Amino acid sequence: MNRIRLSNGMFMAMIVNMIYAKAIGVTQGTISRLIGQDMWIATLLGTLQGLLIIYVLHWAMRRLPGRRITDLPSLGDALLGRWFGHLTALILVGFFLAGFGPIMITFVYHLKDYFLPEVPLAIFIVSGLAVGAIGCYYGLEVMGRLALLGILFIFLLNLLIVIGSIDEFDILNMLPVLEHGLPNALFASVHFDADWALAAMMAALVLPHAQDGLVRGGRFGAAGIAAGGVAIMIWSILEPAVLSAEVSSQYTVSCMKLARNAHVGTFLQRYEMIMIALYSVPVLFEIMFTLYAVSACSTRLFHLKSDKAAILPSAIALGAFGYWIVEDHFRAIRFLENIWPWIALPVAAGLPLLMLLLRLLLQKRTERAAPYPEEG
Amino acid sequence: MRNFALFIMLSLLAATTSSCMGLRQINELAIVSAVGLDVGEKPGSVKLSAQIMRPADVRGQTGAPSGGTGEPIYSVSAEGDSIFDAIRNLGRFTSRRVYWAHNFLIVMHENYARRGIGDMVDFFTRNRELRMNTWVAVTPDSPDELISTITGIEVVPGEAVDRLFRYNMVTGLAVGSNMMNLEEQFLSSSAQPVIAKLQLMPRGISNKKPEEHGSLKQVELTGAAAFREDRMVGWLSPEETRGLLFFVHDYLSGVEPVSCPNNGSMATLEFKQARLSVYPSVRDKEPEFRIRLSTEADIVENGCGISLAAYRRELEGELSDALRAKIVAVLKKAQKDYRTDILKLGDRLRNRYPIEWSRLRGRWTDAFSEAEMKVEVKTTIKSTALRTSRRDIH
Repeated sequence: MNRIRLSNGMFMAMIVNMIYAKAIGVTQGTISRLIGQDMWIATLLGTLQGLLIIYVLHWAMRRLPGRRITDLPSLGDALLGRWFGHLTALILVGFFLAGFGPIMITFVYHLKDYFLPEVPLAIFIVSGLAVGAIGCYYGLEVMGRLALLGILFIFLLNLLIVIGSIDEFDILNMLPVLEHGLPNALFASVHFDADWALAAMMAALVLPHAQDGLVRGGRFGAAGIAAGGVAIMIWSILEPAVLSAEVSSQYTVSCMKLARNAHVGTFLQRYEMIMIALYSVPVLFEIMFTLYAVSACSTRLFHLKSDKAAILPSAIALGAFGYWIVEDHFRAIRFLENIWPWIALPVAAGLPLLMLLLRLLLQKRTERAAPYPEEG
Repeated sequence: MRNFALFIMLSLLAATTSSCMGLRQINELAIVSAVGLDVGEKPGSVKLSAQIMRPADVRGQTGAPSGGTGEPIYSVSAEGDSIFDAIRNLGRFTSRRVYWAHNFLIVMHENYARRGIGDMVDFFTRNRELRMNTWVAVTPDSPDELISTITGIEVVPGEAVDRLFRYNMVTGLAVGSNMMNLEEQFLSSSAQPVIAKLQLMPRGISNKKPEEHGSLKQVELTGAAAFREDRMVGWLSPEETRGLLFFVHDYLSGVEPVSCPNNGSMATLEFKQARLSVYPSVRDKEPEFRIRLSTEADIVENGCGISLAAYRRELEGELSDALRAKIVAVLKKAQKDYRTDILKLGDRLRNRYPIEWSRLRGRWTDAFSEAEMKVEVKTTIKSTALRTSRRDIH
C-alpha cells in the first residue's frame, strides 16, 4: 500500500483553505449581526480557541508506541477497540455531512446570488461535487497541492480587497471597541469556531499523513490556524471599517458586499469576478475534502476495500443534503446560525478532548496490547 | 472502470460549465445611465424615469451616424406600485432588458424624498447589478427633465453629472452622496442621511443665439437635502453645505473670499489641509461638543490694492469668521430647524462615551437639538502664492 505523504506546508495550506472560504463572508455577516463592529475581536478569540484545540488534537494523536495511527478513528480503535473506531468514524461522517451545508451556502450563494441568478441550483451542486470528486479520486496529495495553489490565490484575493477598499477605510467605524462586552464577543466567536472546527476535523484525518504530523503536527496545525486567522481578520477589519457594521450585518455574504464596493481609482470598478475566480480554489478545496472525509470514514464503516468506491454514494448524500439546505434561504440561515455551531463545536472540541483523556487513562494498557511492539 | 468514472465526471463538468446558461447579449440590454424617481399620479405609486444609452450614438459624432439616430440617449418613464413594478412596466415599451450596472446617478424628486426613501435604498442595495458608488441626489425640479438635460460637454447627461460629483470637492458646495455612504447613514443608529441637491439652472449659452444668455438649462450640483430617518426634512444652502462637508467628508481645501481690511474690496484665500476635530463630553447627563477647525491658507487673489503682509492677522480673523459662520449655520439648521444629526455627532459621542450613548440613544433627537456646541476656528496664512513684494517680507 502506498503511504500518503503530505509536506508540512501542504498540511498548513489545507488548514487555511478549509477555514477561509466561509469565514471571510458568511461568518462575518453572522458575527456582525451579534456584536457589530467587534467582528475582528470575535475572530481573534475564535482563532485562539482554534489554536488550543489543534494542540489538544495533536497531543491526542501523537505517536503511540506499537500502534499505527492513520486518523482519529484508528486512534479510537487503538484506545477502546474497533467499536469505538467505528463510532468515531460515524460521528465524523455526520459532522462532515452537516458541515457540507454551510460549505454549500458559501459556494452557492456567492455564485448564484451575485453572478448567475438564473442558473438552476442543481448545476452548482453537481459541478462543485464533480470537481470535488475528481480531486477526491486522485487523493490527498493532489488536494494538498491544490491547497498550496489556494494559498497563493488567498494572498492575491486579500491583496486585491485591501487595494480596492483602502480609500473608503474609516477607522471611526470600528469604534467603540467591545461595545457589546467581552462575554458577547466570546459568544459570537462560536460562529468562527465552527469554521476552524472543519479544519480541526480535517487535521484529525490527515495529521498522521503529514511529514512530521505525529511529532510536530501541533506546531504546524497551529501555524495553519494562525495564518488562516490573520487572512480572515483582514476581512473582519475591512468589513466594519469600510462598510460599517450595520451594513455588513444586512448581508448573507458580507464579503461580496465589500468586494462589490471595491474600486481602484475611478476606472477599475466591479472586479469582483476576478476576486471570485481567486476565491474558487479554497471553496472547491472545502468541497473536495468534505467529500474525501465522508467517503474515507464510510469506507471504514462499511468495510470497503477502497475509499474510491465510496465517492459516488458520498457525493449523492452530500449533494442531496446540500441542495436541501441551500434551496431555501431561510432554512439555510437558520441552519447556519442556530444549528451548525452546536454540531460543530461539541464534535471538534469534544472528540479531541475525549481522545486525549482516554489516551491519558489507557496509555499503559494500550501499549501493552500493541500489535506492533517492534515499531515502538 | 477508472476511465469510465473519469469520462462521466468530465462530461458532467463540460455540461455544467459551458457558460451558456443565463447569458445576456449586449445588444439585448438597455444600459441605464441615470434614473429618476418621483411620486406617481396614483397615491403611493412611484414614477420611474430612466435615461438609456444608445450605444451606436454615444460616440459623440455630430449628426446621425450610420445606423443611429444622432440622439445619444433614450429617456422613458413608467409608473408602478413599487420601484420594481415601475421597472417591469418599462418593459412594456422598451425593446431591451433594463441593465443597471453602468448607472451613474439616481435622482429623486423632493416630494418623493419627503415621502420616504426606504424603498429606494432597499431596492438598489438588493439589486446585484448596481454599482455602490452610483451617485444619489434630490432635486426640486422634475427628475425626468433633469436626467434628460445635456450638461457640460459630455454626450450622456448621466456621465456629465458623474463628473460634477467627481470634481465636487473643488467647489465644495455639495455633499458627495453615493449608495455606499447613503446605505451606511441610513442604517446607522447614530447618524442621519444627507444627500446632494441637483437642480436645473439657466446657465448655458446657445451658440446659435449667444445674445440670449442663459437660454439653455444646465444641471447644477449645489447644496444638500437633510433627512431624519428615511424622510427628507429640508434643504441646506451651499454655504451651510460647506460647513457640513468638514463633518462628513475629508474636506481639505476650498476657496473663501474675504473683505479687504482697508476698503470694501475682496481678497480671496484658499484654505488647505483643513482638519476638523470634535471633542464630545457629557455634563449633567447631557451631551456637549467642542468643535475645532484648524487650517492653513494662501492668498490667491488680492483685490485690496495694498500689500497684505501687515494685515495678515486681520485676514486670518476674517477667514476664521467666514468658516465659523458656515459651521454655526449648519449646526443651527441641523439642531434647531430640522432636529436631525446629519453631522455624525452621535457617532462621535458613541465612540467616546458608549455607556452614555446607550442611555441617550433613545432620545438622541432631543438631546442633539439641545446640546451645547462650542466652535473654534484657527487659520494661519502661510503663503502669497506666486507673487510677493519687498513690503510683504519686511
